[in-house]
Formats: sequence, structure tokens, C-alpha cells
Amino acid sequence: MQTINNEERALTTAEIETDILVIGGGTAGPMAAIKAKQQDPSLRVLLLEKANVKRSGAISMGMDGLNNAVIPGYATPEQYVKEITVANDGIVNQKTLFAYAENSYAMIEELDSWGVKFEKDENGDYAVKKVHHMGTYVLPMPEGHDIKKVLYRKLKQTRVKITNRLVATRVLIAEDGRVAGALAFDCRSGVFTVIRAKAVILCTGAAGRLGLPASGYLFGTYENPTNAGDGYSMAYHAGAELSGIECFQINPLIKDYNGPACAYVTGPLGGYTANAQGERFIESDYWSGQMMQEFHQELAGGKGPVFLKVDHLAEETIANIETILHSNERPSRGRFHEGRGTNYRTDMIEMHISEIGLCSGHSASGVWVNEHAETTVQGLYAAGDLACVPHNYMLGAFVYGRLAGESAASYCANTELAKVDTTQVETERQRIFAPLNRKHGLSPAQVEYKLRRLVNDYLQPPKVARRMEIGLVRFEEIRNDIQQMLATNPHELMRAAEVGFILDCAEMAAKASLFRTESRWGLYHARQDYTERNDAEWSVHVQVQKDQAGTMSVFKRALEPYIVEPDDVEKAVYQQIRIQPKGTVVLSGGSHEL
Amino acid sequence: MSFSSIDFPVKVDLNACIADKGCTVCIDACPLDVLVIDPATGKASMKYDECWYCLPCEKDCPTQAIRVDIPYLLR
Amino acid sequence: MELDLILRSRLADPDPVVRRIALIDLVDETDPDIAEPLLIAALQDSNKEVRIEAALALEAQDSPEAISALLKALEDSERSVREMAAQSLSANKNPELGALLIAWTEHVDADVRVAIFRALRELRLAAATVPALNALADQDARVRREAVAVLGWLKDGTTLSQLVNLAKNDPDTEVRRAAVGALGFAADDTVRVAVDLALFDIDWQVREEAATVAGKLGLDSLVASLIRALEDTYWQVRLKAARSLGRLKNKLAVASLCEVLVHPISNLRKEAALALGEIADTAALSALAVAAKDPDPDVRKAANLAVSRISLVHNKE
Repeated sequence: MQTINNEERALTTAEIETDILVIGGGTAGPMAAIKAKQQDPSLRVLLLEKANVKRSGAISMGMDGLNNAVIPGYATPEQYVKEITVANDGIVNQKTLFAYAENSYAMIEELDSWGVKFEKDENGDYAVKKVHHMGTYVLPMPEGHDIKKVLYRKLKQTRVKITNRLVATRVLIAEDGRVAGALAFDCRSGVFTVIRAKAVILCTGAAGRLGLPASGYLFGTYENPTNAGDGYSMAYHAGAELSGIECFQINPLIKDYNGPACAYVTGPLGGYTANAQGERFIESDYWSGQMMQEFHQELAGGKGPVFLKVDHLAEETIANIETILHSNERPSRGRFHEGRGTNYRTDMIEMHISEIGLCSGHSASGVWVNEHAETTVQGLYAAGDLACVPHNYMLGAFVYGRLAGESAASYCANTELAKVDTTQVETERQRIFAPLNRKHGLSPAQVEYKLRRLVNDYLQPPKVARRMEIGLVRFEEIRNDIQQMLATNPHELMRAAEVGFILDCAEMAAKASLFRTESRWGLYHARQDYTERNDAEWSVHVQVQKDQAGTMSVFKRALEPYIVEPDDVEKAVYQQIRIQPKGTVVLSGGSHEL
Repeated sequence: MSFSSIDFPVKVDLNACIADKGCTVCIDACPLDVLVIDPATGKASMKYDECWYCLPCEKDCPTQAIRVDIPYLLR
Repeated sequence: MELDLILRSRLADPDPVVRRIALIDLVDETDPDIAEPLLIAALQDSNKEVRIEAALALEAQDSPEAISALLKALEDSERSVREMAAQSLSANKNPELGALLIAWTEHVDADVRVAIFRALRELRLAAATVPALNALADQDARVRREAVAVLGWLKDGTTLSQLVNLAKNDPDTEVRRAAVGALGFAADDTVRVAVDLALFDIDWQVREEAATVAGKLGLDSLVASLIRALEDTYWQVRLKAARSLGRLKNKLAVASLCEVLVHPISNLRKEAALALGEIADTAALSALAVAAKDPDPDVRKAANLAVSRISLVHNKE
């Protein structure tokens, strides 16, 4: 592999020309590529992946269920939009939620026809489970481990061109402001690649390497750590608006293992989250910031820590839970429990909260898109965890992948390739390859560790202005350290590039959080210096954008008028469910269940 | 942060591994690209301690030559 | 697109390990149409690992040639090859290839029959009806179970009597459970009787399925049996009974569900509260007010929601 030296690498340039470039081959990306190609088979569609499309992204080992399936007879799009509006404390663009909700069932049916396995009853009807209170949205996938295989098969059948191990670092923008392509390098050969494209679709997933996990292991993250926030950074530098960055992602997880406890798998089977006394304590009814706030309080309080409780269930049920949890999504979970001697039959499973991240799939932080998956930059689209469509999870990634693919295909029909600005190409070449050309310097892993430790110290909620301001100063120092990083091979160069993505995300997270001077979304944006929610002033989106001068600007964007307004009774139901006065709770011994 | 010797989570059974005959399944599958062919043995081996313990390398291995342990810091 | 020459020579390598790896690369790097005949040929390889790899890769192909080759592989001398071929066959989604499968439904090997019916299920072919009905008398319970699934997915009213018969009389628990589940598309009298009986089956899995089907079909006449099922020895059955009583919205269940609101098992209290909300009878309000102070937050939430839903329904009236 050492046949070319580092200087030669930086000078070797590959050029690729395509009509549509999809960056990210996890969940939304393959769907976007397939749908673009299906809509217009004459288009050249290139799916670019940093890892390998066969096993990349958040669902590399499958998924154990849908928790936002809008299936006729169980929930309506209106009901779903109302619930997410309430769950996200009103800060939503309902048009984007409707676009998801109205296309969600057709997507389930299409995935089903491709071979993705959803739970069905003995008549082949979907076995939807009632978990949420207004609508019913959970559709289990006990055999959902093959989902990537199914997507890969479909990509091959649709004749989508795939390129693996290419790390995209910047979107190319033409003089007139529209997309001209993207720049990337191969994390094995180090070859620099200029990709010309009429449209670029960003599907790079969450910013999962923002906070440092409590274990201290850089890659022991909740999200797939390949997802370092690449797309957030690329969209920012392309001049696109990002939204809701201050609404962090924090999840309840199995302690140290840092994988989901999957309450929505165990919930329908009778398992639940409990405190040390084995009692339920969560008042809110949705995976939301409010719930995380309660979780956080219980964790730190006198009845903590917090556990997943399934030891009261029947043997058959526990065996079923084990089969599902140990074969899907994060299958090494069973191995982790085994190592510690934890048995679901006799032990509660200790839980904790995750490091912070940015992820619209779970919360709301992402690249601003409309209901056609268009960003604010012409020719640039976004879908999946990095596109701001609150709480849209895996199925939302598929639906928005489809919307992005179809929108981009339509756009390409009337568009020519834009001219590539060679200054952009050369500037990026210098920036990216600089660590390879140094003889001495800081290791990317060390810089990353320090940066993410600072993220924990200064950005982890509850948030306070002074702390975040200090954080911003420290982040600037890291920006200088980045100029000192040393990489000895293309793999380390990839890690060095990722430190840059993480730093951009950290800065956006701090600035957006400072800007919104109120508390909202429970723990996600709990400000100690502005403890109240202030609807009069802050019923707005907070946007982050790189301005003409190249600096980070933060500003308000007005909410679009709601299409459906939750009525008073529904609001009252939520209020009753959500805010239950503490102290009125009568405690009793743990109930015994067969 | 920096350790003189690292307990790599991905263990390869050198007798079972067929990388020396052209197999790259685990190396292709790894999302973090931490597996390489060890030039000394011709077999797969873990080069970077950057494991998400996600298991595609183990599940996809055609000869079941891989065992992924939970990284020590999390164990 | 031409097949890479190096790959072609690797596919013919004397070392079976090399041939096997070459197959993996073939699928990855080559157009599916070019790969298919080579994969089919590899099903005849002398080495079983190579044959397994080929059977696995053919999952992605839905041509008659691929399906025929996989069917033949069901008779492979090695069990692991046969199993992989069966798995790949069940991934086929092309109903036009169903006729090829149907020809194998009376194969002498029970494993093959299981695989064939499993593969036929999702295709929902009317032509599979008669073979599936014949297979309901199969010696092997696994074959009967798969045949039940084929019929359940077809939702053909003319097969009801046979399904009812199986739900009542099959000696195997899983076959009875599946048969009760398969009845969930038609609410006629024979079904009503069969589901009612199944609520008293000796095995809880059958009772649980029956409780679910009663709700799915809206079998109002089974309210009394469902109320009795609220006291089943298995909480799974009790939970499904409460769930179905909510779906039936029959006021006869209100008193019993109110009693369940003080049951020691909190999951059951929660389900009962939700069901009372769906039934929306004001008679439940006082019991729900007590449940709204339950020690378990989920029960409180369910009770609050039920109270709101009852007031919503009555305000609208």
C-alpha cells in the first residue's frame, strides 16, 4: 500500500462526473439513489459512501421496529402531525411533518415488497402495537436484521453506481450559488477526488461523535461513530441554513454499553424503565426532551439510578426479547450483559443517558429542508438524521430519501452541470492534505478527545451562558490545534478531517444554544439562566448559517402557520399526562407480575 | 488516552481466516475501516482501536473466524 | 459489461476457498444478469461451502432459472445447502414464479414441503389454495403450520371450515394458535364458535391469539368469554383480553374492567384504563378517578387519557 508517498497523494486527482451525487449510503442515501434512478433511468446516479454501503450507517445491523408508522386504521397524518407538534414543543414546520406522515404507509408497503420484514399477524396484516396514547405507531420488526441486505440488493437491481471508502469533505458551489459537485478523498489510497454533479443529496446521518461517552472510549457512542457530523459541516460551508441545532439529542441507554435499551421493543411485551425500587417514574409519554429531563432527575436522585425492568416477565417473553434485542440493531448487547453476568430473568439492567449529539431523527437538529427535501441552497438536498424533520426516525429517513431523490431527479432534468471553481478545489486540497505533509504534530485522536471532552464540560445540559461562552473560546483554541495535526496515512487523514466536522458542530451547538434565551424541549435545551419556556418571544426556529463574510450567523426564522392545531381537549390531555405534580404519588411495594 | 499496549476488541482466528486467499469480507464490512490484512501473516487483523462493536465483521465472515469482544473500557 | 478475466479464473480455481471468495466478489462487482448463470452453475460445485454461498447469493435473483436451481438445491446432499436454498426461496417476491413452487408441494421430504409453503405464503396465490388445504392433513406439524399461514394470508372464505377444524382439533399447539390467528379475516358463525372455544384452549398461546382475534374481528358476542379471560392465569392473555374489550367498545365490560383497575399487575391496570377510555361509558369515571392516583405513572397517564376521551365523546354528543 505504501507505493506512493504523501506528497504524490495530494497531487493525484481523480475526476468523476455524474448527474446526482448522493453522499452517504446508510438509510436515506440508498433510498434517494434508488428513487432518483427509478424516476429517470437515464440519469447518472452515484452513491458515495465513507464506509461500505453493504454495512454502513445507523442500521448496519438492522432495526427492531418502527415507532412512527402512520398506518391507516391506527393513526391519521393529522393526528401524527399534532402529536409531533406537541412533542417538539411547537417548533415544527408542519408541512414537512405532513409530507412524512402522508407518505409513510406507502413506504412501509414498498419496503415490504422489497423484502424488509415487518411483524404481521396470521392473515399477513401488519401487527401494529399500541404504545403511544393518541395514535398507534409501533410496528415491530423482529426479523429486521436484513434491512441493509435488502437495500443493497435493490441498489444493484436499479443499477445505481456505488463508490465506497470515499470521504466527502466539501460541497462545491458555483459562482451563481448553485451546487457544482463535491470534493472527497479515498481513506485508503488517499486519492483526492473532484466529483461534478448537478445535484447533491446529503444523507450523512447524525453528528454522533460530538459529546464524549462516559466510558471515555471515543468510538463507544450511541450513534454509529462513522457519522461525525460530516453533513452538518458540509451544509454549513455550502451556505445552507441549519435549524434547531440547540435541540440536542440525548438518549436513555444501557450504561457503558451505550446502546439503546429499546423500551419500544420491550414496552409492548410488558417491560419498562424503572428506578432503583423497580417502580415506573416517567410521566411524559414520548421519547422527548421532557422524558429525558425526568430520566436525568431520577438518575441523579435518591431513587436512582435507572434501570430497564423485564425480570417480572414470563420466561417465553424474556426469551423473545433476548432474541430480538440480541439479533438486531446492536447485537453485541447480549455479549455485554453476559460479560457482566447480567441476566434479564433476575436482574434489572442499569441505564444511563447518552453523550450529546445532533440528530433530527431523534430530536430536531438538522439541515433546514422543506417538504421536498430541498435545502436553502439550489441543487442541494438533505434527508435522514441530518435533515431537520423532527422525530422522523428510520422510516422518516426512507421517506425523505425518496422525496430528495425524486426532487433532485426533477431538478436535473432542466439543469446543466455548473462550472467548478478551481480555487475552491485547490483551497480544499491544501486544507485536507496538510496533516499528511507535516513531519511533527498532534495526533487527530488526541485533538478529538480533548475537543469532545470540552463539549461535555461546556455544552452538556443543563446549559448556562457563561459556560458556553468559555466553551466557544476553548473551541477556537482547538481550531488552532487543527492546524498542527499530523496524519501518517489516509486513514488518519480521515480522522483528522472528522475533527474539523466535529468542531463545526460544536461551535454551531454552542452558538444556537446561547441564542435561544429560554428553556425548551426538556433536557435538550434546559437553560439554567433562562429556566422558563417563553412562547411569546421564542415560538420561532433558530437558524445557523455561514454569512457572506464567512462567519457564523444565528437568527430567527418565523414558524409557518400550522395546518392543524391540536384542539384544547387534546392539549389538556397532554398537559395532564406531562405535568403530574410530584408528591401526589402514592408509593407502594413493587407489584408482582407473572 | 494513550496506552502502550491495547487490548483490541476484534480477535481473528488465524487458522480459520481465509484472507490470504483473497477474502476481504470483514475488511469491507467494517464501518470504521479499522481492519487490514496483516502483511506478516496475510490474515485479517485490527489496526486501529476504533471499534463500535457492531459485529458485521463477525456476522459476515464466511468462516466464522472473528470474535468481537466489548472494548475493555466499556466491559 | 464483460466479466473480469481474473475473476473468471478465480471462479474456476482448484482451491474451493478461492472459488468461494470469487463468488462473493462476483455478486459484489458484477451486473446481476451476468452473475446469475455463474451462481447457478456454482450450485453444482463439488464443495458444499461454495454451494451454500451460491444459494445465498441467488436470493437476489427472481428469474425462473434461479428459482428452478434453488428448488433443485432443496435436494442437495448437504443439509446446510438445503437450508440456505430454502431461505433464499422464501425471499422471492415474484408471484409469477409461484407455479414452479407449487409443483413441489407434495415432495417426499417434509423439510422441503415446509420450505415450499413458507415461500408460497407471501405470494398469495389462489393456485396454492388446494395444495395448502391438502397439507392441513400432513403428518408433520411444521408443514401444517406453514400451510395454515398460506391459507390465512389468502383470506379465502371457502377454506374457513378446514381452518376452524384445525383450530379446534389439531394436536399441535402452534398449529392451533396459527389456525385461530388465520381466522382473523371473516366474522362468521363458525369462526365465532371456534374463537370462543379457543379462548378456553389448554395452551395459553392459543388463548392469547384468540383474545386478539376476537378484538380484530369485533366479535361482540364473545364479550362474556373475554371478560372471563381477564382472569386467565397468564397475564399475556389477560392483557390481550382487555385490549380487545376496548376495541369492541361494549359497555357490558365496564364493570369487569373497573375491577381490573385495582389488579396488582400494573400493566393490566394500564390496559384496562385504556380500554375504558375506548368504551367511553361515564359509569367508569369514578373508578378512573381513583386510577388517576395510581402509584404507577403509566396507569395514571392511561386513566387521565381515558377520562379525557370519555368527556370528549360526551361533549361531542
